[in-house]
Order: sequence, then C-alpha cells, then structure tokens
Amino acid sequence: MNRREFVRLTAAGIAGLKMGAFAQMVMAREIPDLAVVEGSSHSKITELAIDALGGIRSFISRGDIVVIKPNMAWDRTPEQAANTNPVVVATVVRLCLEAGAKKVRVFDRTVNDPRRCYVQSGIMEAAKKEGAEVIYVDHRRFKEMTINGEAIKTWPLYTEVFEADRVINIPIAKHHSLAKLTMAMKNWMGIMGGSRRQIHQRLDESLADLAMIVKPTLTILDATRILLRNGPQGGNPEDVKVLNTVIAGIDQVAVDSYGATLFGMKGEDLGYVRTAAQRGMGKMDLSKILIRKIKL
Amino acid sequence: MGAGLFNLRNLRRLSQALFLLLFLYLFLQTESKGFDELGYPVKVFLDFDPLIFLSTLLSSKSIIKLFYLSLITIILTIILGRVFCGWVCPLGTLNNMVSILRKKKTEPYRLGAFRVKYYILLFLLASSVLGLQFSGLLDPLSLLIRSLSISIYPAFNYGASAFFDSIFSLQVKGITEVSESLYSIIKKTLLAFDQPFYRQGLFIGIIFLTVLGLNLYERRFWCRYLCPLGALLGILSKYSILKKTIGEGCNSCGVCEKNCPGGSINSSGGWLQAECFHCFNCDDLCPQGAIRSGFFKERGSFIDLNRRQVLISMAAGVITVPFIKINPFSKEEFINPHLIRPPGALEEKEFLKRCVRCGECMKVCITNGLQPALLDGGIEALWTPVLVPKLGYCEYRCTLCGQVCPTGAIKRLTLDEKKKIRIGLAMIDKGRCLPWAHATPCIVCEEVCPTPKKAIWLERVSVRNRDGMVVELQQPHIDLELCIGCGICEARCPLVDRPAIYVTNIGETRSGINQLLL
Repeated sequence: MNRREFVRLTAAGIAGLKMGAFAQMVMAREIPDLAVVEGSSHSKITELAIDALGGIRSFISRGDIVVIKPNMAWDRTPEQAANTNPVVVATVVRLCLEAGAKKVRVFDRTVNDPRRCYVQSGIMEAAKKEGAEVIYVDHRRFKEMTINGEAIKTWPLYTEVFEADRVINIPIAKHHSLAKLTMAMKNWMGIMGGSRRQIHQRLDESLADLAMIVKPTLTILDATRILLRNGPQGGNPEDVKVLNTVIAGIDQVAVDSYGATLFGMKGEDLGYVRTAAQRGMGKMDLSKILIRKIKL
Repeated sequence: MGAGLFNLRNLRRLSQALFLLLFLYLFLQTESKGFDELGYPVKVFLDFDPLIFLSTLLSSKSIIKLFYLSLITIILTIILGRVFCGWVCPLGTLNNMVSILRKKKTEPYRLGAFRVKYYILLFLLASSVLGLQFSGLLDPLSLLIRSLSISIYPAFNYGASAFFDSIFSLQVKGITEVSESLYSIIKKTLLAFDQPFYRQGLFIGIIFLTVLGLNLYERRFWCRYLCPLGALLGILSKYSILKKTIGEGCNSCGVCEKNCPGGSINSSGGWLQAECFHCFNCDDLCPQGAIRSGFFKERGSFIDLNRRQVLISMAAGVITVPFIKINPFSKEEFINPHLIRPPGALEEKEFLKRCVRCGECMKVCITNGLQPALLDGGIEALWTPVLVPKLGYCEYRCTLCGQVCPTGAIKRLTLDEKKKIRIGLAMIDKGRCLPWAHATPCIVCEEVCPTPKKAIWLERVSVRNRDGMVVELQQPHIDLELCIGCGICEARCPLVDRPAIYVTNIGETRSGINQLLL
C-alpha cells in the first residue's frame, strides 16, 4: 500500500463511518406516514420531505422508469397557483435521476392548450433542465382499461402510467367548486382520456374508483402556494395563499385528508376522501397516523 | 453562354428555392409554441406585398405602418421589373415546378389573354375604392397562405399521421420502432401539433390545385394571365431599366420563346417588358448568344390595354360593390349571432375593409376554432375568420391572431387588453343543462371559465328527481358583466352534440349596436 492509496482508503473509511452513523440515526426514528415540511426554499423542503420518508432511494431503484404526474392543466403562471410549483417538480426529477432512474417522464392531459400549459406553468423548462422527458400526451397511447368501480366500469387511461416502474403524483392543493378541494386523488383525472367531463355527475365515487387502479409510489402535495377561491384555475393573486409547505406520503387518502386541513376543512368533508377511506383504500383519520412536521 | 453552373439562370433558381423554403419555414412557424409571442415574423411576405398595401390603403383610407416594407418591392420593380415574379414569389416558384411536368410544346402567343390580369387588377382596385376588399382572394401570397393553411397542410398532416398511426397500431417488432422514431422527428419539424380541421378545406383546396393544374395547360398560366399582383408589378415595370435586346445573330430558332415562362419573348424579335420575369432563360439558352440582358435605353414593347376594356373593368369593379352591399348583412341591426369575430377584430364594416382572407389567423389559432366564413356574414365576408366555439374556444391568454394579421383587421393586443375584450356572451339552455333540467350534478362550464372572478357562478339548490328524492346540486348562471364570450364553456359542455351553454356575438366589444345591457 502506497501513501496515496492509504489516504484514499482512510478518507473513504471516514466518510463511510459518517454515512453509517447518519443512516443509523435516521433508521432509529420511525418512518412517518406523512412528512409535512415548511420553508422558504421550495427545493429544500421537497427534498427534506422525501428524506423524512426514508429518502428517494427507498422509492426509486437504479434503472427505473419513473412517471411524474404534476398538475399542469391550466394556462396559468406559477404564482397563480393553478399548476404544481415547477421547483417542486424539478426537485423530484433531480432526486429520481440521482437515485439512478433510467428515465423520468413528466406529462399531464391538460384542460387548456397543452403547449401553453406546459410552457406557462414553468414545468416544462424546469423539469427538462433537470433531465426529465417532458412529453405531450399522445392520443394513441390511451387504452380502455377495466376499473370495475362503483361509477366507472371502464375508461381509456394513459398507458405510460401503467407501464412505468414507479409513479409519483405531485398535485397542488386548490379550491374546486364540486370536489371542494382538488389535490392528490383528483389529479388522476389528468391521465383520463375520452370525455372525462362526464365524471362530474358522480365525482366522488369516480375519483375513488380511479384511485383504486392508480397506485402511486409516492405522493407529494404541493402547498407552497394554495388556491383558496375561483379554483381550479384562479387567476386572481388575492385568491392565492403562500404556505411554503409540501406534504409527502405514500397513502394518497391520508395526503388529501391532511391537505383539507390547510383550508380549514377535514378529510371527511371531502366526499372522495370519505368514500376512499370507507373502501379501505387509505387512512382518513389523521389521529391514527404518524405525521412528522419539520420547519426550516 | 449559360454553359457554366454559375449563370444567372441557376442563380435565379437558387433564389427561388431559398425564398420558397423561407416561406414554408415561416409558414410552419405560424404555430404556437406555448409562449405569448410568436417569435418569427410570419407575415413578412405579406408585408412586402404592394397589392395588399394598395388595396388596403384604398379601402380603409388609412395607412398601415407595416406596409412600408412593400415600398421596397415597389422600388425594386420600378428599377428591375418583375424580378419578384421570377426570383421571389413562392406561388410563382410552385407554378414553375408544376410547369416542368408539362409536355414541351411551343407556347401560343396570346397577346389578348395577357390583358386579363390587368383587368382583374383594375376591377379589384376600383372596387376597393368603394370599400370592398376582395384583392386578397386573388393576391398570390394571400391565396397561397390561405390554401396551405386551410387545405393543403391539414391534408398533408392527416395523410402523414394516418400513415404512421397505421404502422403504430400494427405493433410489428422492429418496424414500429423505426417508424415511431421517424414520426417523432417529422412530428416535431413538419407536422401540426394537433390535426387541423377546417370548413371548406376541400373547396379551397380544389381552387388551389386548379391554379397549379393550369400550368399543365400552359406554363405559369396563373402568373401570365390572372395574377393581379403580377399585373401591378407589370405596370410598375414600365420604366424599369433592366431590359433585353435581341441582337443581329438571331435566326428565329424559337428556343427563347419555348423556354420563356412569362411568354414575354418571341422568335420574331418582340419582347414584352411588363411580362418578363427576368428569369434569364432566354439569354442563357440562346444558341446564337443573340439575346442580352442589361441596362439599355431602348424600351421593350407593352401590351396595349384596350381603353374600352380598362373602363369596363373599372366600371365593373365599381358596379359590383353596391350589388354585394345590398344584402341584409349591410344593415347594422341584421346580425348573424354566430358570426363571432376573433378578439381585437375591428368593427364589422372596418374589419371587412381590411381583412385580406390570408388565413394566417386561422392557421395560428391555438384551438383551431377560427374558421373561414362561407356566407355567414354575406358574400362580402367570404373566407374571413369566424370563431366556432364547438370546434375550438378562444384561449384566454392567447393573442396570436392579432400578432399575425397583416392589415390590422385584427388588432394586436397586449395580454391585459385581450382579457378585457368581449367577443360574445354565453347563454344557458336550461332545457338541456344537466343541473337545470335533469337533476344531475355538473359544474364543468364553471370549472373551465377562465376569468379570475368566474363569469359563471353556481347557485346551490335542492331539486327533486323522478323518485321524489331531494338532490343537492349547483346550477350555473352567467354574469353578463364578466363573461367575455371565449366559448370554453361551450367547447367543454358534456352535451357535445348541442351544448347546453353556447356563445353568440351579442355584447361584443367592437360593436356599438350589438349590445344587450344598458
């Protein structure tokens, strides 16, 4: 062993020791159901929220093809809080690629013109910069799928979501006149093809039906800015409230249930959360789950 | 002469190719990329068009700033003659290309027929003085952009997509992967973001293909006999200094005549100055080297316009106007409710004086909602843009149509101005609306309504269904002060065949009379 090798090995050993200690420290604490992180750096709070759930490597493996589904349905700019915060999306893209993901795909079936939504939301630029493939929805890739739910029996859904190894849902928390609030579960409307407007006739059951077959690896609710009124599009800065918060969890029912509290509501006030909890798809009762709150 | 590669003829061909490619490139760029501004001066060809300039000047009696560029074309023509036709015009180049397919034979020398285009020009200009803007129907650039936008490009797009779709649906290993990667390249560069659909696509396409097809009958038929811009440039070329002379060596072999696209030269020694495109075929091909181009003093000959015909065509232009104006749409109160004009469109009479029906607004419309009118606003409004919300609504934060309009018929708006312009108002068909008529929840129109304070508001009500059960739901109402008539509610209403909410042009900002509120 020459001197150079000795130095290198020693350094590696020290680093390894440190990492080990850190990991032990993390492992010692129980992993919470929800991580709620507040802070002015939207990238840092996103990263911390994922770390609190065990780190991105507990969700993403080397070589994974990852689909990230933000809400970018509207021709609105980030400060209008109609679409997911691009910084949050870009941070998750970066973490996935750092964890060895082979590809990260980002898309949404928008309501306004897709080109404007992708650009004006800021998500296309931010996600591409971190190395994601930001793709427009290709009508040929919707396939009629069996849901056998209460309201929806079959529906054309976007196949890439089901072909991916991992799916991460990154909704934004907003007002909605029928659902009351649109967050994680309702964000799956963005993978529906066909005449999805019809599901409003039985919205709560339909959203719960949809959540039965779309099971994300991870859900990150963007509450950096939330939209209090005139949702889901907004447009008036007075309707936006800055919370600088993200909520991460695996259980999308729990995420939505917690999200309701940001608006002074409870999970049980939301029909689709109630329905999903009754069907045993997730936990609505926040007193029965472990929530870790971190403030930066 | 003309043996080398770098002769004037090949230089001309290069120029034609470059201008055609530039034109097609700018045409493809006339599509949203998601940003507020378009980025490329897509209407630049029309800005250089003196016929559009002159007729708009005459009909609207106002000078449009951007058209100063057309002075360049005018000055160029005064000095060099119809070089625009021979070296620049993309329709001329397309005509040239089709002409190649024609079986070679000696051109008849139709002195009389040349005159037709001058009469067409005079007809158009005389009628534009009285406020009828029809020159865009026959202006070659306007005709080309319109035909490509409404017909040729959508058809190309459909064909190409259908081809790749069918390979995709077969899912053959190896082949599908190759075709898909090819498709993604073509999709990004040549194809439209979404398949465009236009009313009258076939009709407008047939007219265009007829113009091209006439080349098989006679070389550059359109340019020789019909093109009003060519006629205008021909008149301007009267004093041009670039000329042809036929020298002593000429043995009347007829090569020049056979190869002259404009039919301007004949083997008996005549040269029609105003019909010459300066393509340099004759001097490069003359076996005797007898034809020379240069700045000579002696003038070429001109076709005498028959004085009587001149008067007749101008009179026809003038007389046509009242016949077109006596349809009921000229009455202020007679309004077609479905004649929804793009945001920023001038008041209808002014709008019609300026719109040259080039179709750029329809090409650029992000939702494909702008469609060419047939008789929606009378024959005078033929091929002017109309919004059909069921096909595509007006995107709230989009101002592209005003950015590409070459004549200011649609004003260029800032984003803030655009948001305040009302193109119509939505009304609810309570006999069809789900919460109003069928005790079924639905809020889609309210959800998609884009104004920051929503123009559609919901009233919470309890209604009974057939079984006598009380159903709680929300019924939509429209705030007439806030609605801008964008039509997204109509486009997204679940009742797709006949939406239960629909927009008509009542309340449109541009009109003084088409209002409903005090």
